[in-house]
Amino acid sequence: MSIREKGYHRWDGRLQERRRAWRPITRLGIRLAFKRKFFKFAFSLSFLPAFVFLAGIYLSERLQDFRGFIQKDAVPIQVLPKYFLSYLTADFLLFMTVILLIFCAAGLVADDLKHNALQLYFSRPLTKWDYLLGKAAVVIFFVLLLTFVPGLLLLVFKLIFSGSFAFVVDHPGLPLAIAVYSAMAAVFFASYSLLLSSLCRNRRTASFLIFGVYVFSDMLAGILQGIFRSPYAGLVSVKSNLKIAASPLFGVKPPLEVPWACSCLILSAVVAAAVWVMNRKIRGVTVIK
Amino acid sequence: MSPVVQTFKLSKWYGNILGLSEVSLDVHPGITGLLGPNGAGKSTLMKLLTGQLKPSLGRVLVAGERIWNNPALFRRIGYCPEHDSFYEDTTGRQFLAGLLRLHGCCAAEAARLTESALKLVELWGDKNRLIRGYSRGMRQRLKIAQALAHDPEILILDEPLNGLDPLGKRKIIRLVKEFKAENKTVLVSSHVLPEVEALTRDIILMHQGKILAAGDIHDIRDLIDTHPHVVALRCSRPRKLAARLIEEPHVLKVHLGPDGLLTLETDNRDLLFGRLPALVLELDLDIEEITSPDDNLQAVFDYLVGK
Amino acid sequence: MRAASRAAVFFFDLGRRAKRTKFFFALGLVPVLLSLLLRLRHVLSVSPRGFSGDFFYSNVILPFYVQFLLLMLALFFGTSVILEEVEGRTLAYLLTRPLSRAAVVLGKFAAYAGLGLMVMNIGLLASFLILKIEGAADPEVWVTLARDAAVLDLSLLCYLSLFTFLGTLVKRAVFFGLLFCFGWENVIAYFPGLTQKLAIAHYVKSLIPQPPGQAFSFLRLMLEPSPPLVAVLILLGLTAVFLAAAGLVFSAKEYLSPD
Repeated sequence: MSIREKGYHRWDGRLQERRRAWRPITRLGIRLAFKRKFFKFAFSLSFLPAFVFLAGIYLSERLQDFRGFIQKDAVPIQVLPKYFLSYLTADFLLFMTVILLIFCAAGLVADDLKHNALQLYFSRPLTKWDYLLGKAAVVIFFVLLLTFVPGLLLLVFKLIFSGSFAFVVDHPGLPLAIAVYSAMAAVFFASYSLLLSSLCRNRRTASFLIFGVYVFSDMLAGILQGIFRSPYAGLVSVKSNLKIAASPLFGVKPPLEVPWACSCLILSAVVAAAVWVMNRKIRGVTVIK
Repeated sequence: MSPVVQTFKLSKWYGNILGLSEVSLDVHPGITGLLGPNGAGKSTLMKLLTGQLKPSLGRVLVAGERIWNNPALFRRIGYCPEHDSFYEDTTGRQFLAGLLRLHGCCAAEAARLTESALKLVELWGDKNRLIRGYSRGMRQRLKIAQALAHDPEILILDEPLNGLDPLGKRKIIRLVKEFKAENKTVLVSSHVLPEVEALTRDIILMHQGKILAAGDIHDIRDLIDTHPHVVALRCSRPRKLAARLIEEPHVLKVHLGPDGLLTLETDNRDLLFGRLPALVLELDLDIEEITSPDDNLQAVFDYLVGK
Repeated sequence: MRAASRAAVFFFDLGRRAKRTKFFFALGLVPVLLSLLLRLRHVLSVSPRGFSGDFFYSNVILPFYVQFLLLMLALFFGTSVILEEVEGRTLAYLLTRPLSRAAVVLGKFAAYAGLGLMVMNIGLLASFLILKIEGAADPEVWVTLARDAAVLDLSLLCYLSLFTFLGTLVKRAVFFGLLFCFGWENVIAYFPGLTQKLAIAHYVKSLIPQPPGQAFSFLRLMLEPSPPLVAVLILLGLTAVFLAAAGLVFSAKEYLSPD
């Protein structure tokens, strides 16, 4: 019998199943987002409302120092839960969130479909839900950075500038409201952007859809409100639904006279639709007839 | 014969990365193989020759004219790109006919040329299928079809045999050889040396953006004086022949393998082959086999690259 | 010109098969659906609320085209002229045909302009008829339609040429296009005097009569209009300039596939 050279050693260890397989996908998505040109610019610009609202909190605590600049009959800034809601649902912030989605989310699924990369993913010990969770976590990360982090920081600065915890004692549900709304917005935007990204094989088209659907929904809501003179027409708008769903969390009257449960239902329906569509689209093998 | 394609100190940079460095070559009518490993600069050269890229330095002339922004030349050129990309929502027939209409063909002529080209590459039966439903081999054949549908004089094929099965490769090789018979010019690039050897003996070897050698395979091999030629012999009494050959001044090395294969290294193969018949008669040997194991492209390439 | 027309026919044929064209046709039917909704509501309503077809057409349909659909069509098709070929790696097929580079750009522009104009004009005509069918016997009504269609068509061509030029110049053309349409042009509209004239939207809105009433606040126009002839000439001039620039840039620039 000829002597054969053994070029390897048998491994005696146990294969550990890592149940956080989605994390490398998320890390890569975040890293790639930061590598894109102009993303850093857009990302920085998104924090502008936070600075404006921070300045407002400062002014509200130091009003006497600025009496000389303010008109006598001017309404002082009142930092209440509504103030935090105004920041979190500010038109500019939502607009910039959508712009950031164009950079970080448009190609998340579209690029994988275009380059047939799904086979590479699913030839590894990765489930479809790991893949989707990993992709969604990229969007969730950025949305939370824009909502939860500044929202909490504004609250912290409020406490610092006021010099006491009275504000939190008076509004104990506020931190939770910020967290819940941020989570809701993050999950919604993740589902929204991944749904549209999975509908096309081109990042540019996905960018277009992400922006276009957002703007179109708002425009359509305005038109339908004009036709039917009904606040329920506003439920067509993505922006309005987020504002209506957020209102009860902060104890504020919704901008439209519509039960907040309707908005929550619509946002949930978008998430469910996204899950259903992505479940069908994300396959290791595609049969072309 | 004047060259059909000429480059003069052609260089191309992609930012700080050097794609091509001072490439000067002449391509004459017939089949010329452009060889090199991945990243050698073959596709860059082909894109420069087809006017898709501008030279950073140097000049490119095709049929005596500059190619950049010279669309009229493309009536005479057919190009098969490396990338597997199409207008996926069209059928094979629509794709070809559309491109032929861009050549200025009328609808009837485009239809006729489309049929002819698709039949040539054996895609006529699948003409009405969407390209997105084509297999890898069918897509490759379609790419070749669009390159030769308008009957060009000059064919520039970038890795045309990629993705084809052995039978498909043979058919394309035969097709390309028919082109040569019509006195046309074909420049074929590949990183698979045996494929190019099957097509032609005229080669251009590239490595790291430079031309290592250009010309006939055998001439190039002969010119590589630094590396002795290897000759392998199988005969009835190899030890006797080995003892006799070691005395010859042009034989540098003799190796006798366990299977009786006699391998020689010589710095003058012609002299060796000249002496061999006399030695065989003198020693009364039966020669079963004589080969030159390094008289092929792989060996030439390895020697030139310095492996 | 002949080369450009060959290219136009080729790309029109390709474009009409594409899924995105069907999507835009569907989007172009939204004003038609809205018009039908209004008509139905008016017909089925017990006490009519005083909306007239004229009012809805001027305050909703036209602004919807001007401030949304036209921009989306122009942005998508315009940036696709070159970027689609580069991203899809099909540019090699075009550059190795006996077509000048400028002819490729012009031809594709013409094809997409044709598709965009079809999408817009079909929807506009249908909405117009639904809302103003009572006045169909009056030639003035048709003059209004022809005028509005001409304004929208000219505007589409101008925006399309701008985004075609942008697409030849930069990779992130969609981002810059969105910034221009929904950032710059929205902000600059509120600036007084000459600053307003630094937006294409200014000249488009100068050609559209001011809508009566302010029922739809999000469509409010704050305008110091330019004379119509000046607006037309500027739009035509800008179209020509952007197209020429696109042809020049594409002829001089080399495009690397995204490897």
